[in-house]
Parts: sequence; C-alpha cells; structure tokens
Amino acid sequence: MGYKYIGKSYIRPDAIGKVTGKAIFLDDIRIPGMLHATILRPEYAHAKILKIETGEAEACPGVVKVVTGASCHYHYGDNIRDLVPMAVDKVRYIGEPVAAVIADTPKHAKAALEKIHVTYQPLPVYIDARQAMSQDAVLIHENLGDYWHLPTLDPVPGTNIANRYHLKKGRGGEGFGEADVIVEGEFDYPFGSCAALEPHGAIVWFKEDKTIEVWSSSICPFIIRDDLALSYGVPAADVRVHIPDIGGCFGYKSDITVEQTIAWIASFVPGSPVKWVATRQEDFTSTLIAHGIRTHMKIGAKKDGRLVAIQSTIYHSTGAYADTGVNISIAATHNSTGPYEFPHCEMTGYTVYTNTPAVGAYRGYGHQEAQLATERMMDMLARKLGMDKFELRAMNYLGEGKINALGERMYKYNGDIQTCAREVQADVFGKELPKEDEQFFYGRGFAAVMKSPKGAPFSTKSCFMKMNTDGSVNINMGGAEVGQGLRTIIRQVAAEALMIPPEKIRVYNELDTQFSPYEWQTIGSMFTMQGGRAIIRTADKLIKVLKETAAQALKTDVDYLEYDGQFIYLRSDPAMRIAVGDLARGYITGDGITIGDYAQAAADARLPRYANPDKNGQGSTGVTYTFGAQAVELRIEKKSGKIFVDRFSSMFDVGQVVNPLQIRGSVLGGVTMAIGAALHEELLFDDEGHILNPQLFKYHIPTIKDAPEQKIEFLETPDMIGPFGARGIGEHSVIGAAPAILNAIHDATGIDFYAIPITPEKMKQALEGMKEVAA
Amino acid sequence: MSEMIQFTLNGAERSVAAEPDLMLIDVIRDVFNLTGTKHGCDNATCGTCTVVVNGKAVKSCNFPIEKAANAEVMTIEYLAKGTVLHPIQKAIAESGAVQCGFCTPGIVMELYGLLENKADASEAEITNVLSKHLCRCTGYEPIRNGALMAQKLMQARAAAK
Ligand code: FES
Ligand code: FES
Repeated sequence: MGYKYIGKSYIRPDAIGKVTGKAIFLDDIRIPGMLHATILRPEYAHAKILKIETGEAEACPGVVKVVTGASCHYHYGDNIRDLVPMAVDKVRYIGEPVAAVIADTPKHAKAALEKIHVTYQPLPVYIDARQAMSQDAVLIHENLGDYWHLPTLDPVPGTNIANRYHLKKGRGGEGFGEADVIVEGEFDYPFGSCAALEPHGAIVWFKEDKTIEVWSSSICPFIIRDDLALSYGVPAADVRVHIPDIGGCFGYKSDITVEQTIAWIASFVPGSPVKWVATRQEDFTSTLIAHGIRTHMKIGAKKDGRLVAIQSTIYHSTGAYADTGVNISIAATHNSTGPYEFPHCEMTGYTVYTNTPAVGAYRGYGHQEAQLATERMMDMLARKLGMDKFELRAMNYLGEGKINALGERMYKYNGDIQTCAREVQADVFGKELPKEDEQFFYGRGFAAVMKSPKGAPFSTKSCFMKMNTDGSVNINMGGAEVGQGLRTIIRQVAAEALMIPPEKIRVYNELDTQFSPYEWQTIGSMFTMQGGRAIIRTADKLIKVLKETAAQALKTDVDYLEYDGQFIYLRSDPAMRIAVGDLARGYITGDGITIGDYAQAAADARLPRYANPDKNGQGSTGVTYTFGAQAVELRIEKKSGKIFVDRFSSMFDVGQVVNPLQIRGSVLGGVTMAIGAALHEELLFDDEGHILNPQLFKYHIPTIKDAPEQKIEFLETPDMIGPFGARGIGEHSVIGAAPAILNAIHDATGIDFYAIPITPEKMKQALEGMKEVAA
Repeated sequence: MSEMIQFTLNGAERSVAAEPDLMLIDVIRDVFNLTGTKHGCDNATCGTCTVVVNGKAVKSCNFPIEKAANAEVMTIEYLAKGTVLHPIQKAIAESGAVQCGFCTPGIVMELYGLLENKADASEAEITNVLSKHLCRCTGYEPIRNGALMAQKLMQARAAAK
C-alpha cells in the first residue's frame, strides 16, 4: 500500500541484548538484602489441613521465617474473587502453596522445607468437569456464593459450577427442526502447559515506607499493582511493579499467577525483598495450566449443505480456582461456531471447579479447543451429506453481511476467508496424494479458523512519546514484550505515523508501573491493533503540539501548516519552515523567550464499542476477527504409529503485514506448538490428582526434529480499526493444527479421533483395531 | 575445608570451593553473576544453560564443578568483543531466531562449540546439535537459518584471515 516503514523486515531492537546474554530476565535480578523463598506443596490434591508444624523448619540454618496461610483472610481475583495466596484450611490441587520458608539462600530455604510437617484429611478428588458436576460431588469451594464476581458471571452456589454462560441466537436448539441432516460428537482438548522456556518467578518487597515493590515475569503489571493494593489496603500508586524481559508467555504469564503468593510470603518479613523462582516442576504444577475443555457439539444442515443450527456445550475443567479460566470457557463457547454462520445457535459453557491447577490463558484462548470440534464436524458433515468438504465450508463461511453467533455483523474489512481457504486448498490438495506403501499411510487435512480477542470493558493500551531536540523520539508503552516482537512493531508503526526513520525511535525495555503508560494486559493478539492505534493517536497529538508551537513562531494559523517528519512548514510557502527539533522544547525565540509546549504526548486506544454480553449471551464482545485456513500433509508409520508432519500450510488475512520476518516467525512458532499439542503434549493426572509428567523430559514439547516445513502466506484486506490496516495474528496460528491433523488421519486411515494428543501408542492401537475390524 | 577448584572463566583465573551438588551453572550465575547462562529446567532437558568447556558445548546444570577443575570455561558474555558481535550472534540476531530470547544464549554457545571446531559441519550435524535445545517460540526454522548464516560468515572470516 505504499508504506515507507510498514511491511519491511526490521531486526528487533532487543535482539542484541538477547544474543549477548545481557537481557535481564526475572531470575537475573539481584537486590541487596534479598532473601529467598521455597514453597511447600501438598501430598493430596483435595484435603482439609488439620495441622501444620513449623518448629523444626524454623530452627534450620539460615531460616528467617516459616509462613503458612492460616491467618490469611482475603480472597483475590479479577473476575471471580475465589483465589487465596496460600492454602488456609484446605488444599484444592496438588501444586497449591501450603507453607513457605524464607531463608538467606535458596539452598537453606529448600533444606528447611522438608522439615515442615502437615497433617491432612483427604477429600474426594475430581479431575474432570463431569465428575465434579455430579449431584453428590463434594464442594471444592463451599463458599462460592460469598465470592465477589463480575456482574456478567453466573456462579451456581452449592455446586462446583463456577460459571454458566448461555448464548442463544435465532431459535436456538429449536432451529434443528429445519435441518435435514444432523451430526453430533464430543471432542476433548486435554490439559496442557504453555511451558515457556523461562519459568515463572517474582520478587516482592514490603518496604519500610509502606510501599510495595514487585518484580515479576508477568505480562500484567497493572493488574498486579491494583490487586495487591486492594489486598493490602494501600493506594495503587504505592505499589510499584517492574517487568523485566520475559522468556516467553503464550498465555500463562497473564492474569495474576504467582505474585499474590510471593507477596503473602514477603509480607511476613517487611523490609526485605523476597525472591522466588519456580522450578520447572513447579512451573507445571503450581502456575496456570491450559485447556481441559470438552466440547459436545451438534450441527444441523439442509440437504444442500446450508448450515442451520448448532448446539454446543463446553465442559471446562477449570481447576481449583476459576478466576483465570472463566473467560476461556466463555470464549470457547461463543467461538465454537468456528468461521461459519449459523442462523440458530444454542450454546452453553460450564466453568467447573476441579482438583487440578487452575487453568489459565494459553495462546488461542478457547478457540482451538472448541474449533477442534467444529472443524472435525465439518468434515464429518460433508461425509454424511456426500458433499465436497471445501464446497460445504465455502457455502457457509462468515463474510460480508453475515451475522456471527454473538449477533455481530461481518464486513469486508474483517477479512476474506474464502480466498485463504482456496489458496491453502490449492497448495495442499492441488497435487496427487502419495499412495499407501509398505511403510506409511499418507493423509491430508484441512481446517478453517477464526479468532476474536476476549476483551474487557477497560481493556486499553496507551502510549507516551517525547521528541528530542535532534528530532529523535522516545516511546513508552505498557505492552509486555514476551518475544512476540512488539518493540519492533512500535518502532515501525511510530516511524510511519511520525514520518521519521525507525532508527530515530527508541522504545522502552522494562515495564514499570511508576513510569509506563497504563495497559490492562498484553493479551488477545491485540497489541499491534490496539497499541498501534494508540501510537497513531499519540503521534497525531505530538504533531499537533509541534504545529501549535510553529504557528506562534511563524505568526500564522495551525491549519495552514504541514508536517513532514523534519519540518513544520507553511503549505502556501514551504520555505517558511522550522525544523521539528527546534520545536521540541518549545520554540526559543532570538531573545530567549520560549513559546509553546514541550513536544510530548500521550493517548490510548480501546476496541470500538466493546460491550458485555446481553441476556442472550450476545453483544459486541468480539469486535475484531482474524480469519484464516490451515492444512497439513502427514505420514503415519504403520509399524510404530508415529505421525510425521511433512508439511504445514497456513494463510491468514491479517489486514496488513507490518514485519514479514516477525509475522512468519510468529506463525512458525504457533503451528509448531499446536502440532506439539496435537501429537504429544498432555499434562497427565492420576485419579488422586497427582501430575504424572511435570518435567520437560516427560512432557514433550517439539524439538527441531518435530518441526515441519511450513508454507505461510498472508492476505491483506485492510482493517478499519488497526494501524495502517493491520489486524491481530499472535494466537491464530495454533487453532487449525489439531483438527487438520485429525482430519488428515481420517483421510489416511479412515480412523476418526475425537481427542488429542494422538501419540504413536494411540495411533498404533487404533491401526491394530482397524486390522481386527477388517479381519 | 572444602577443596578449591581452579579454572579459567571467560579468560580470567577463578577458583571456588567445591561443595556437594554444586553445579557449574550455580557458580557461573550465583558466584560470578554471569546471568546470561539460563536455567530453564530441572533435568538437563532444555539446553538454556549451555556453556563451552574446553571448546565443547556442555549443559552447565548437570556439570559438577569438580569436573571444571583446570578447565577453560566460556559463557555467552565472552563472545562479543566490545560492540563487535561474534558471527554466530550476528546471524542469530538477524535471522529471526530471537523471539523471547531465553533459549538464545544456550543455542549460541552450542553453535559456538560446533562451528568453531568444525566450520564445515553439515546441515544434519547442525540439526543434531540443535535438537538438544528447546525453543518454544520460533518453530526452529529461523534458528536453523541463523546457524547456516553464521557458518557462512565464519567461513568468510576464515578466508579473510
Ligand atoms: S537448565 Fe535445562 S538443560 Fe540445563
Ligand atoms: S526464542 Fe523463546 S524459547 Fe527460543
């Protein structure tokens, strides 16, 4: 579109610090006088705490304090206030903090931990939402009815149901009356972990002056700030949260995770900073886990393939606390249509307490879980109708003038899924499928995807800019850099908006609630879109300040002036001009009198008219959508059941590519993660709620040998909200892999899977079963 | 008195008291404050802690300090000379191989261990050493590209000498 800096691959401004090992992550921070904490985890996943003996631990070398939750009287949470920083009288999952040791060294803190003795009275354990929903289930939260929650939530006190969300569009379930053909099935996206390479950690310091200072590996410093201020009864302004570089997030470093626990511990030693960094095991057992979503889905269509109705029920095993999971259940529910229009929708989402770690955000946020069902069902429906699966989809895609489940109208600027689907189909299905041979079955599968952010009414992102006398610009924002590359994006968008080269723009490194402009949290693939809009607004304000000053200096009116990145000049006589640097501090006249304001500005941006759902569960709660299509070519080894993903193809309509190198990197990583989820990754629990594989050598994330060749293309139908037409893309690449792979397995073998991961053992077992059927 | 272990760390003579279970990573990070070497797992699986000992890449999290006696240990901090990056650092920075960057120091040291010894390593050899490292961000393609780019830069550097 003829942009100067948008659409080009600039190297990230933080790359040098990262390749030289100088970037500072949480564990690299050392503060004078710092103490170290270790945390005791329970032996049972659900139990009453009868007694905690700490005497022996207190006497250990180096120990400063042993902390329990006995005296804790507050709950916290942003959506439903059901969280406690440390178990008070019962434990609800296996990784819960039960007690902590504060000592001079991590080693001393660890040694003393073993000397704490706890007596428990075990309670029944529920791993799956359905068990926890049964009539006679013991309550995981007895006081659910007392918890503060957002007015939009609907907990069911006296049960383990933390929230019910219901959406009805058209005639809802009655719409099936119009259907000629119905398919139905239940699909499972099991527990997993974001498993970023950097584990969680935090440092909290209750200072002598009654302020609280925090460092955390989190993406939401302002939520932590406000939350701690509320819990400890201090002004939010007195809580200062720093965020250093973050070694990957993928969701589970959003919302509040470990900070309240470390604050609780540190509150017992005011005056001393207390540091805690998760072991890898704790990162699995005691931070946020992912998914745990079963989707029961029924789809009805006319004989010709026109979709008429969908009924979906989300059973979300949300873990011991629902605050971080409830919005995922809701997002999974209303996005379970996938990228299709259904005139009638009846959708219910249950957020259910279970005795597992709390489920939190994972890149994709409910979409890949529910759309695993949708995209499997579209293939199944095509089979039942005897129709081509691409034709069936093409007939029903959301697009201009179509209305989604939430009742939102789609416009052309929302993107063109038809083209994405056609291109990906041509790329993967446009050639001959290799014939089954001695060793392998070959298959191809497809999935179309859609994602919107799950926002909040106060979800804003802001920007602060100041210009210097040499015309260079410093920018501060509240967005957390987790590796997604937002620092590069800020530079490029600001360069375009200010018409100056990116090299003249320096972006912030760390976040600090004292200095950073406000941001709710960096989630929902929204930084480019919302943050970019904030940058444009701020740049406009900055240019206005420059013009106002220049108008005085040039003795004219603002609307006669133009800006070109270097000068403010008179449109009718460009020779009448002032260099922007000379306007930066205000304009200093010959006699030293200075006129005008300093050239700095701040602005923020929300999504337009984001609203809470109405009583039908509908409303403008999605606001922005990115559509795309993905497909896979794979091989199944007959002997071992091993699945080899040979090639993966994706196309998304992103509105406008800002940085080609980075956007490809984002999709490469997302697809690889999702292939991991589809083929290997599952956090396994035994019946007692113990986690069986909380280590990276047991929970296999993909290595270079598992990463397929990828074709990645982008379509650019400019957006109306995002900067220079750009839309969100950070999470979308994880959505299609699981259904595409399962569809490809069916293509190769005729076997239908309804749950992931398809490990070699499961595949082999299914192949043997197939042989038996044949014999 | 516990035994003192002598070794060279990034060109300087160092010594540290041996203690049971003391691993090289603890000495690097906690005694000498070289925090570029990262700690990503509990069981020597992730590769983020990789350093070079006597020219070979090793995982410092399961490298008992006794084994470092009289050895030459090199960490990520020693690669760049002032603002001049080592070709591996330059290539990894430019190929898109850095997202969050937590895996990066380990990967750079791994490639250093390979390519400084074997400038003509095959792509398969490169993939093999990289398979000891986990990266959750990049999908690996940009890391492989960076490694190949680095190899070219290093070959050009050798030819120029
Ligand atoms: S820290 Fe993971 S391999 Fe050493
Ligand atoms: S760049 Fe984040 S783990 Fe590799």
